[in-house]
Amino acid sequence: MNPQILTDLKLFYPEIILTFALLIVVVADIAFPRISRGLSFLLTALGLIGALIANIRLLSADSGTLFFGVLSLDPMSLFFNCFLILTSLFILIVAAGSRELSRRNMGEFYALLLGVTLAMMLLVASADMLMLYLALEMVSIGSYILVGYLKTDRQSNEASLKYLLFGAVATGSMLYGMTIIYGLTGTTKLAAIQDALYQGAASGNNSVMLLIATVLILAGFGFKMAAVPFHFWCPDVYSGAPTPVTAFLSIAPKAAAFAVLIRFFFTAFSDASPGMGHYSNISSVHWTALLILISVASMTLGNIAALRQENMKRLLAYSSIAHAGYILMGAVVLTEQGLQSVLVYLVTYLFMNLGAFLVVIAIYNHTGSFDIQDYRGLLKRSPFLTVSMSFFMLSLMGIPPFAGFLGKLYVFGAAVNNNLAWFAVIGALNSVVAVYYYARVIKTMIIETSGDTTPLPVSFTNCFLVWLMVLPTIGLMLFWSSVEKWTLSSVTLLLGG
Amino acid sequence: MIGLSHYLIISAALFSLGILCVLTRRNAVNVLMGIELILNAANLNLIAFSKYSAGNIDGQVFAIFIIVVAASEAAVALAIVLSMYRIIRSVNLDRADTLKG
Amino acid sequence: MDKNLLSQVAFYFFAVLTVASAAVVVFARNLIHCAFALLFTFFGVAALYVFLGADFLAATQMVIYVGGILVLILFGIMLTNKLYDVKLKTGKSQFVPAAVTVVVMFAILVFFMLRTSWFQSGSVLSGPTTASIGELLMQDFILPFEAASILLLLALIGAAMIVRRRSE
Repeated sequence: MNPQILTDLKLFYPEIILTFALLIVVVADIAFPRISRGLSFLLTALGLIGALIANIRLLSADSGTLFFGVLSLDPMSLFFNCFLILTSLFILIVAAGSRELSRRNMGEFYALLLGVTLAMMLLVASADMLMLYLALEMVSIGSYILVGYLKTDRQSNEASLKYLLFGAVATGSMLYGMTIIYGLTGTTKLAAIQDALYQGAASGNNSVMLLIATVLILAGFGFKMAAVPFHFWCPDVYSGAPTPVTAFLSIAPKAAAFAVLIRFFFTAFSDASPGMGHYSNISSVHWTALLILISVASMTLGNIAALRQENMKRLLAYSSIAHAGYILMGAVVLTEQGLQSVLVYLVTYLFMNLGAFLVVIAIYNHTGSFDIQDYRGLLKRSPFLTVSMSFFMLSLMGIPPFAGFLGKLYVFGAAVNNNLAWFAVIGALNSVVAVYYYARVIKTMIIETSGDTTPLPVSFTNCFLVWLMVLPTIGLMLFWSSVEKWTLSSVTLLLGG
Repeated sequence: MIGLSHYLIISAALFSLGILCVLTRRNAVNVLMGIELILNAANLNLIAFSKYSAGNIDGQVFAIFIIVVAASEAAVALAIVLSMYRIIRSVNLDRADTLKG
Repeated sequence: MDKNLLSQVAFYFFAVLTVASAAVVVFARNLIHCAFALLFTFFGVAALYVFLGADFLAATQMVIYVGGILVLILFGIMLTNKLYDVKLKTGKSQFVPAAVTVVVMFAILVFFMLRTSWFQSGSVLSGPTTASIGELLMQDFILPFEAASILLLLALIGAAMIVRRRSE
């Protein structure tokens, strides 16, 4: 075997562990049908924890490309690996205790979860358009199946079909755009594309073709991020999918999409001025302007559409569309500070969004409803859930001292520091609009009353997980400096491989 | 002489027809056919560029992977269509309307 | 001179076949007609690959697309019993704006594609490609190769799980 491959494999342990876990879970599910549920849960958890540990041990490794320039190992890919594995671990626990999924055989679910996590890890490290497309499709196909997991439920099936058809068109268009870039530069590797763009592959007449390619590629990325105008699938899919899957979709593939967007545009279309902490656009395409458009549209449309929602899952769907807009603000500014703000926002978003979904699941497990009207008088029935949900809502609004404020502070700050103050103002206005629908949830829980005052029991695992999400939501501001340090060290992208 | 432009026009035509199919047809299997048209257009692009432009085989290898992905996607799509057909006895997308918006 | 003319005629024949059958896929009312038109589209594309010297890919296209995906689509059509397509519910009103958009998009694409100076590497591909593709798959692209096998596993598990009828 090629010795280069052997040395690369040593740096590839997290993915190898996940692959083996996936294979073992598949076999165990068939071989031991009676204890399958518990056994596959255990194996999946072990696999994810093992991958996380292997990932942390890689943090001290040198940056470089793996497997002949197809993947790049750098602090940013390691950051996202940790983020994604952690998210999957939480979702694993949530799914195991979920009432919606209780009657289904979970062996395949855990296997698919492992597969999608593996694919996302490959996606955030992709340094080649081929690997990028393959990993993106792996994530998508796994997600389509997970969304349709309740195969006897009509809404789940519909959601899955809509997701698949929309997603296949979006990634197909992205693929067409990638082929155009291949034609313009003669290569599929991102670093080589940057070289080719330097040498004028997209000058003059070619710049229109590059613009077309960029728009098509943004279709694929935008679809995964659920950003406007590629968001049409989002409310239906979020609402029809089993809620643990919805929670997963709203965090993990979204974050992976941001990672790949950053890696694609900052490696191929930009260049870093050494040591200055900022990047410059070397392509003739104003992709930053396109991203600003998408960001403003997402924030505005997401917030406005959320105002009218009566179903918690749809409300959170539109809310996540709006948050995609805020996060994009950080990617637009072409500085390390901007990238750092994206990472900080994602960390805060993980806890507050997952926390909100956890409360929704806990309430559904007992009442069987996702309607906001059924949250009336929750204060008397479960003060724990009410208070935690209020914290999550306040954090999503961006109110200090909650974690969400930290995320918004960084993102708006990055915009203001780079002559995009008007952009930050739009973001702030949108945040004000968003207060209405988040506050409406709080008001319904605390102030409104309903006839039913029976206490609402919360399972131990759900309780534990909600605490796990609430503590960072409240306390992240206290550990602000360590978050800042970790994200700042993670913004180094491998360039020019 | 047959050159790069001929192939690009054919692939652009396939891509456009695929997008039209996705936008206008109501039957899920038909939309899937449109998606296959889009993927074939991309493949044709890649192989034409591989021969006339890039001078390397990377384009053809990329095309192989796209074919693999297309096969997986078609398999999952048809599984979901079948599952949905069992539930609502129709694959007409206009009947897939319980999720509003 | 004669061979050149013959190959040009053959090329145009396959080009027209491909685009015409794609058009049938989009516009035909009967779903089975669409499926068979798709067969001719795939066949035409495979022929175009042969013109481009991509012998391995032409064979792969026929085997996987026609032998696999198209058969799967035909099964899907038959099992869902939709031998006759339902009339387009939305009638003309939805069709015209979509068609106009697509025609404009096609025109823009072609207009700029013809004016672009594509990358010229100078090296020429010739001869059978299978060996070179094999080399790349085992060296440069070995990771995507292995990842593709995981993708196929996931698709297999998922599709089987969705379709399987449980007898509980």
